Amino acid sequence: MEFARQVSHVLDTEHRANLELLGRIEQALARPQRAAADPDFARLAAAFARMVEQDIGRHFDFEEQQLFPRMADAGEGDIAGLLQEEHDSIREVAAEVLPLARAAAAGTLDGPGFEALRRCALELVERQVAHIQKETMALLPLLDDLLDDELDRTLAFEYAAG
Amino acid sequence: MKLAAGAFLGGAKSRLLPASVPFRFFGAAVVFHLLAWIAALRAAADWPGFAGGLGWPLAALHLVTLGVLAMTAIGASLQLLPVATRQPIRRVRGPALVWWLYAPGVAALALGMGTGAPALLAVGGGGVGAGLLLYAGLLAANLLGARGMPGIVAHGWAALAALVVVLVTAASLVATYLGMPLLDRRAALALHVAFAGYGFMGLLALGLAYLLVPMFALAPAPDARLQLVSWGSAVIALCCAGAAALGVLPVALRVVAIGAGAIATGLHLALMRRALCAGMRKDLGVSFALVRTGWTGLVVSLLAALGVALDAPVPGLPLLFGLLLVGVWLLSFVLGILQRILPFLASMHAAVGKHRPPTPSSFTRRRPLVLHFACHLSALAAMALAIVTASPLLAELAAAAGTIGALAYAAFFATLVRRLAAPVRPSALPAKA
Repeated sequence: MEFARQVSHVLDTEHRANLELLGRIEQALARPQRAAADPDFARLAAAFARMVEQDIGRHFDFEEQQLFPRMADAGEGDIAGLLQEEHDSIREVAAEVLPLARAAAAGTLDGPGFEALRRCALELVERQVAHIQKETMALLPLLDDLLDDELDRTLAFEYAAG
Repeated sequence: MKLAAGAFLGGAKSRLLPASVPFRFFGAAVVFHLLAWIAALRAAADWPGFAGGLGWPLAALHLVTLGVLAMTAIGASLQLLPVATRQPIRRVRGPALVWWLYAPGVAALALGMGTGAPALLAVGGGGVGAGLLLYAGLLAANLLGARGMPGIVAHGWAALAALVVVLVTAASLVATYLGMPLLDRRAALALHVAFAGYGFMGLLALGLAYLLVPMFALAPAPDARLQLVSWGSAVIALCCAGAAALGVLPVALRVVAIGAGAIATGLHLALMRRALCAGMRKDLGVSFALVRTGWTGLVVSLLAALGVALDAPVPGLPLLFGLLLVGVWLLSFVLGILQRILPFLASMHAAVGKHRPPTPSSFTRRRPLVLHFACHLSALAAMALAIVTASPLLAELAAAAGTIGALAYAAFFATLVRRLAAPVRPSALPAKA
């Protein structure tokens, strides 16, 4: 999908990177016994924890502070409201999954902990994938109309700097 | 460029009918699906030689067409069209009344057909007719207030016009059994089959696909101009088929109708393929395997229709055509779409007032759906073989497989309703639909 704005490009790049990582997590957790015994899973869990910790918070904050209000002003409050609700749900699941992913990265997760990680991580994957897809379809194309060149440059710079 | 599914999803939550309204239609469809295969099992010995007339084969056929296909189409269109065309939900009692007229009507009609009781047939037909007329009024009101989505709206209007033909011819066919024929039976039957299968149900299926397939695949909305070209070809096809049924150049116009239908189908499938290729969600699971089976059935049904029109020497060809049109195209498509709509709608309803709503996959059980898929395909293949070889045993095996599949589908639905009714753990394990 082609986007005209820098902000859309930056967010789309992050979405794609997240989708790729989420796909790897989903695949790994499809065979939990193998994943639990796999030394490479610790590295994957560390990358997952970083994504949950950094990307979700920063990315969501930027959208909520800079983009959703502009969507609502442009008469797209329904979609902005839906995306905001999904952010809230994802944050809640992220808060549950983060300590488990960190423990998996450190190799200190026991059997019940691994099962809890699998359950929470798969829920996060489902919510996050559906959310990214909705943003790609509803939010990013809208930015072409919502942002002018100058605002687009300013926001893209602010996001990169932040 | 804003994509249609984004707008659809954004407005969906605020335009939901109470869960009990669409789910009663979908629940009835699941029950009638099971009853249809049981009736088919009861009729196994009669299938190979079936050429119309009262009996369990006719009952099984109408349990599928009215009980499953139209029932699902009514529930889906009453819920989805207001969302797609950005209208508030104005009426709740109307859709509920449609169900109360229509569902018992279908049961009585099927029983009347199966047992050969014209009085019951007339009573059931009256309920079905009244329910469908009320539904037609609700659909017309939705279409009149529609904003945007011209392709889907055009399909809706054409389906509505086809429904009028279906109702008139159905009344005539029922009246024939009561000794008061209104139209020539052969003409009425030809009109009834074409306008019910390709007209009312076919056009609703094609129109709703423009909304639902991109939504589930998360793809851009298909080109509206091409949707309208496909719709125009389908309407020409129906007009030609109608004229042929009334005796105007019957063979030539049937061939033209099939050609126009092939153009409509080709364009539609090209748009669907484009949407699926561009969609961000690639793995659409068992549900879209059924949808693809349905699309294959649509194409092959046109070939079979051509064979019937040209009187091709294939054993059981008219019956095979019916199986391809109703069983392979419409039933596969509807059951595939229904198993996607149900968890989606359930999650939307469950989300109301909840901080962390359950995910669609938390309402889904994969195993029954996989079992249903295997049984559905086996049943259709065995039934086709039974028709070609005139084998009651194969027909019995086909119906038995269909019954097992319908039970599995019912288990999927029962789980979904139980989870919707109970407080759902948001962290329930996801599973692919």
